Order: sequence, then structure tokens, then C-alpha cells
Amino acid sequence: MLCELSGRSLVTAALALVLCLSSVAAQDRPQWERRTEATEAPLAAFHATRVISLPTAETLAGGEWQFEISHRFLPALSEGSDALWGLDGPVNMRLGLGYAPTNRLLVTFARSNFMDNWDLQLKFRALGVEAGGVPILVAFLGGAAWSTDVPGRDAGDAGNRQYYGQLILNTVVADRVALGLVPSYLYNVLLDEIDPVQDFYLGVYGQVFLTNVLSVNAEWTIGENRAELSSDAGAVGIELETGGHFFKIFLTNSVRLNPSQYLVGTDFPFEADELRLGFAITRLLRF
Amino acid sequence: MNWALFKSFVNADRVVRLSVAFLFAVVAPSWLAGQEYHVDVEQENLVRFVSDAPIEDFDGVTQRIDGFLVLPQGNLGVTELSASEFYFEVDIASLDTGIGLRNRHMRDNYLETDEFPYATFAGRVVRIDEEPSGRFRALTKGVFAVHGVEREREVECTADRAGRSLRISCAFQVKLSDHNIPIPRLMFLKINEVMELELDFFLAPAGGGERR
Repeated sequence: MLCELSGRSLVTAALALVLCLSSVAAQDRPQWERRTEATEAPLAAFHATRVISLPTAETLAGGEWQFEISHRFLPALSEGSDALWGLDGPVNMRLGLGYAPTNRLLVTFARSNFMDNWDLQLKFRALGVEAGGVPILVAFLGGAAWSTDVPGRDAGDAGNRQYYGQLILNTVVADRVALGLVPSYLYNVLLDEIDPVQDFYLGVYGQVFLTNVLSVNAEWTIGENRAELSSDAGAVGIELETGGHFFKIFLTNSVRLNPSQYLVGTDFPFEADELRLGFAITRLLRF
Repeated sequence: MNWALFKSFVNADRVVRLSVAFLFAVVAPSWLAGQEYHVDVEQENLVRFVSDAPIEDFDGVTQRIDGFLVLPQGNLGVTELSASEFYFEVDIASLDTGIGLRNRHMRDNYLETDEFPYATFAGRVVRIDEEPSGRFRALTKGVFAVHGVEREREVECTADRAGRSLRISCAFQVKLSDHNIPIPRLMFLKINEVMELELDFFLAPAGGGERR
């Protein structure tokens, strides 16, 4: 750029010089400016897709698979060393495989050996908003279950089928405490009834993150219509996560694992003598 | 083939190539000079780290690198290059390791991206050599910062001409403890605390013109 001092007065000349110098300085500064803001991490309350038995609003990243294995040891912890605090078994177990076609959708197929229950469910993460600094996450879950080993019935009997729906509401308070509510609906609650019965339940749970990878969690499912099942199902435990796994160990009064089973209730009261050990391990995979 | 003759031919060729390289190192690639280059964000840029873990290696990738390089006028010898300047930044919350949960761990537990959203490298070019193939080899010196901890680093990069743009490739190692990054545990086994960092990105002349 050519700078000419053409002003007649000294003031004009000085002004022109300043303008000229500032123009040179501007040219020497890089013209580059940041074009986009840094990526914001997605909103989240819980880290795993389930707390213990109840679902969270979390899904997986699109394209990911999740394998899970979960046990409920039938002997109570109170049986002591004779039953190795329950670890001698027998156990009820659940094997599950989930797949996320998108970031919002999770399809899980699972089987529990309790009544040979097959379970197919779809979870949709509908909403994640921040209101006054508090994240609110909403998901819907719908599923169908088929028990193929109901005493006195053929495997294919229509009365062995159950359907359920859950609304999942999650939030975080005080930065490290995640809370959830799961109003739930179950059709054909009691497999041994001739006419199907439907009912509503309310799952409540919380998780306190002691560190970024270690947490304690607890859940409770409030229900009414449970016939011979005397108690609500509850559990309290600890959770450890790595970048690809969750390890959960807990005490529970329920030995039922799949949703159409644990929602209904349990034979055992939530008392020290009746608590059982359980664990769950999940592994995330991408092929 | 006469083996001795073949070897002497190869050696002679090396001598010639080295001589040519030396010649080009002295004679500056003048078309590079006097330009400001910006990262061409429309191109398929790639920033990748590779972690060596006992059970499985994993990597994290992102396209989100931005920044600039300013090369002064002149011959681009060591003296002229002291007026060079560059700044590059990588949006590290965008790094994808292939597993969503692992991304979260990386963001929240190790890199703390809420507080330190960018990894940056700012400094100047110390030396540019042009090889007979037309590839430039550049030694850069500057401050590499990640997780809020700055370290002086020398990094060697190559630059290939791609039309009016330059394709830059660099590779260097980052020791996590140098940047106060706790070593991630994977299945209770520690991963290697030295990460391999690879960059492959395009620079295009800013504003389509030379700096005056």
C-alpha cells in the first residue's frame, strides 16, 4: 500500500501517518479468525443404559453394540459361608445384546432363564434440554416379552406374552447426583391369570458419582397388583465404569431380571435377611 | 547385473539426491513466500491419536483442526523464517474413539474439555528444505498446549503441493504426564502414557492472495 502525506496542515499529516501505520500493522497481523465454536459435549445424566434393572434415558452412540450379562444369586446373603454368601448359586441370569441404529435409538434383545423369558425392547431418547442449568432427559421405552417355560402351559400359549411401556425422566442435581423416574405400564401382569391384567408402576432411582468412574446407585419399583408377590423390588449397589465397560455389584430383594418380571414385585421383603447378591457386566462393542 | 556396479550406482544416486536437496535447501521455494495460509476446513483433514493398550489399541480421530501459517517474503532461509508464524488448534471434544462412552471418559475424565476445549500448537517455522520430489520438509518450533499445560516442542512436518494449497503431514508423540493428564485405565490395565499424534491437513492461501 502506498502512503502519501498530502495534508497541508501538520494535524492532517500526523493523522495520515497514524492511519498509514495502523494499516501496515493490520496487514502484518494474521487475518485468521476462528470460524466455529468448540464442540459441546452432549447432555447426559446417567452413564449406563440401565441403573440396576430400571432403564435410564441413555442410549448408545449410533452403530454401537452392547453385550450384557447379569446374575441374581438365589440363596440370601444371610445364608453365610455355607452358601458362599449366595455365590454357590443357583442363579437367575439374563443375557442381552443391544444395538443402536442411531444415536437416539437402542434395540435390545435379552433372555432370562426365569420362566425362559425372551424380551425385545426399543428405547428412544426423545429429548435432552437444559433448564436453568439443570439437564432434563426424556426417553420412551416399549417392549414385548414371551415366557416359554410357564408351568402348566404350552410355550406358544398367548397368555405367555406380555407388553410394557416406560416413560423415562432423568436429571442431575448438585453436579454429581443423577435422579430418575420411570412411570411404567405392563399388560398381562400375572401370567397365571386367565384374563390378562394390566397395571401401572413407578420406578425411582438415583446414582451418586463418587468419582468420574465410581458411583453408588439405588432403585425401587413401586407397585400394587402383585398377587402372591409380597414386596416392591429394590436394589442398592456400586458401579464401576471403564471406557467400554460397566461393572455393577448390588444387593437386592428381587431375583427377577427382565422388565416384565421385575416390575411386578418380588417374593422377598427388603430386609437384611432377605437380600441377595447380584451383578451385571456390560461391554460396548463396535464392529 | 554387476552387483558392485549396481551399488556404486545407488551410492552415486544418493550423493546426487543429497546434493540436490542441499541445493534446494539453500535456494528457497519462493512461491511459498509472502503468503498467509489458513486451514482449508472444507478438505478432509485428519487429526488422529493412537493409544497403545494391553488388550486393544484404540485411536481417536477428528477433522476439526483450524489455524494459520504466515510465511514472510524473501528466500525463506533460516533468517527470513524467524518472521514466520503459525497457530493451529484442534477441537478435542470432537475426537471420536469409536465408542461413545470412551469419548465421554476422554472428555470428562482425562482431557477435561469443558475447561480446555482446544489442543494448540503455536510458533514459527525454523527451516524449510525442498526435496527433489517437490516435497518440503519443515522443522517447526513452538508451544504445544493440551489440558492447559504448555510445553516447548520441535515438530517435523512435510508439505506437499496440492494445486495452490499445501497438504501438511506431521507426527509426534505426546507424553500424557507432561500435560498433567492422568493415564487412562482400560479394564484395570494402564495404557501407554505416550500417545502417537498424527496430523494430515490442508492449508490454502488466505483470501486467495499474497500478503503485501
